[in-house]
Amino acid sequence: MLTAVKNQIKVSFLSTRYALEREMLNKVTFITNIIFMILNNSCFIVQWIILYSIKDNIGGLGFKELLLLWGLAAGTFGFARFFCESAFNISDAINKGTLDNYLVQPKNVLLSYITSTVQVSCLGDMLYAYIMLFIYGITVKSFILFTFFCINGALIVVALAIIFGSLSFWFGRVELVADTMNSLMVNFATYPDGIFKGIVKILFYTIIPLEFVNYIPIRLIIDFNLNSFIIVIAVTIFFISLAFIIFYQGLKRYSSSNLMNVRI
Amino acid sequence: MAVITVKNLSKSFKVKTKEKGLKGSLKSIIKTKYKIIKAVKNISFSVEKGEMIAFIGPNGAGKSTSIKMMTGILYPDKGSIDILGLNPVKERKKLAYEIGCVFGQKEQLWTHLTPYDNFRFFGAIYDIPNSRVEKKINELKELFELDDFINTPVRNLSLGQRIRCEIVASLIHEPKILFLDEPTIGLDPVVKENIRVLIKRMNKEYKTTVVLTSHDVSDIEKLCKRVIIVNNGSIVLDDTMENLKYHYLNKKIVDAKMKEQVNLDDEDGITILKDKGYNLKIEVDTKKKSVSDALKLLNPDNIIDINISNVPLEQIISDIYKEGDK
Repeated sequence: MLTAVKNQIKVSFLSTRYALEREMLNKVTFITNIIFMILNNSCFIVQWIILYSIKDNIGGLGFKELLLLWGLAAGTFGFARFFCESAFNISDAINKGTLDNYLVQPKNVLLSYITSTVQVSCLGDMLYAYIMLFIYGITVKSFILFTFFCINGALIVVALAIIFGSLSFWFGRVELVADTMNSLMVNFATYPDGIFKGIVKILFYTIIPLEFVNYIPIRLIIDFNLNSFIIVIAVTIFFISLAFIIFYQGLKRYSSSNLMNVRI
Repeated sequence: MAVITVKNLSKSFKVKTKEKGLKGSLKSIIKTKYKIIKAVKNISFSVEKGEMIAFIGPNGAGKSTSIKMMTGILYPDKGSIDILGLNPVKERKKLAYEIGCVFGQKEQLWTHLTPYDNFRFFGAIYDIPNSRVEKKINELKELFELDDFINTPVRNLSLGQRIRCEIVASLIHEPKILFLDEPTIGLDPVVKENIRVLIKRMNKEYKTTVVLTSHDVSDIEKLCKRVIIVNNGSIVLDDTMENLKYHYLNKKIVDAKMKEQVNLDDEDGITILKDKGYNLKIEVDTKKKSVSDALKLLNPDNIIDINISNVPLEQIISDIYKEGDK
């Protein structure tokens, strides 16, 4: 069992490495993608600088905490889309029947598929995340917790992408729904949760679980609390398990296709 | 010993249907209609160890669906599949170690990597230690003559070279059964012949069981001793290539150049295919008339040149497809 897990991780990392090598073939695009992602993220900070010049505390967060929130959001989505970019295209793979190659391999279909491509610009997100942590004030504890929550949040984001994308097994083309849900997550993630109330707050604990992706983790980095930490882990396990269950239930309905395709 | 046993296998697909035009599209949003397509209907067969069988049929006959069920890609609706004692539905991962697949229409190699790096990657997928992968790559490199391009990125290879690499990638883990789904699609005749020789060599060397689907009759004729013909989801013929030829080759084509014109109209057992005065092409049904009787009708003294040949296998198979349609 342990050897199987080790071998699966080895193959997933090899897959990510080869996908990264492929992206690096075009040096100019590779570097500009990363730089422009950092610039893109930085532009949004300007509006917050203006807002914080009027008010010291917005939604329960000071300016430095907000930078940390931005960093964590960028890190979470950066990790998710860099290592598991294909999770966000799962609906397309189901409809076009491109899971065949993974189904004839003795590895976990889902893990092999989601790690088969990388989104290079997300390296910019990851770099930006640590720049924000540096500005906030880096310590060994904050570095470890920040990295842990980036990965943990990425796992939830990927799990949700798999859940929404897997609906294609039942309903056909649901790319738009999956894309909208992913965009909602990104858009909300960079605002302090204190400014949201009512139904939006309920959404943050359910189908857009940003409380567990970003908001509780931010509070934990600032002031660690074991109970909240355990809740975040439990929720992550819940979403990952749900993603696996839905994907594998749906896989029974997979109909493949005879479309010509190439692994490029 | 049977390595593949398929019993009463069936698979249907639910496909959306809609009327023509925008009106049809709007209607289908309100009330979606579905059509059930029975891709595979109750098929049964078995394959012995080391056999090379052709699994053929026209487009949409159900051959790819059957292969996908045998390899664990698709779940069957009904029936059972036993591949080397394993159930593809329940033991997909275990089965993957024992089989290899090449889908001519779906490339599984990374195009920016060299074949060598790809083979190393496949070695990792099948949990093979590096030393064994190296040994296997060297062995297959010789067998499939990859020396000249093993370190060239796959995207720079010709289609024939790519297919050779695809086959090698599927053999890295020494599978007991190899599923080849149209491996020669899009290749020129010389490369096709080359691939056939290599597949034959591989079967001889490793005793690998091969299940081949192809629309190219030469592939089937040159590689397989047994043929299963599928049409409309059902098996319409499961026989040896020898029997197929023996039972269906009861017609001969006689192509003759004559000194004088001959009238063969209304002759029982003879069909005139081409009559250009002194050049005559006829088909003789040997069940009704022997070839020697046909030649007597032509009068041997009247013949300048003659060629007697079998009906092409392609036509035989096409006739079987048509019978299946009825």
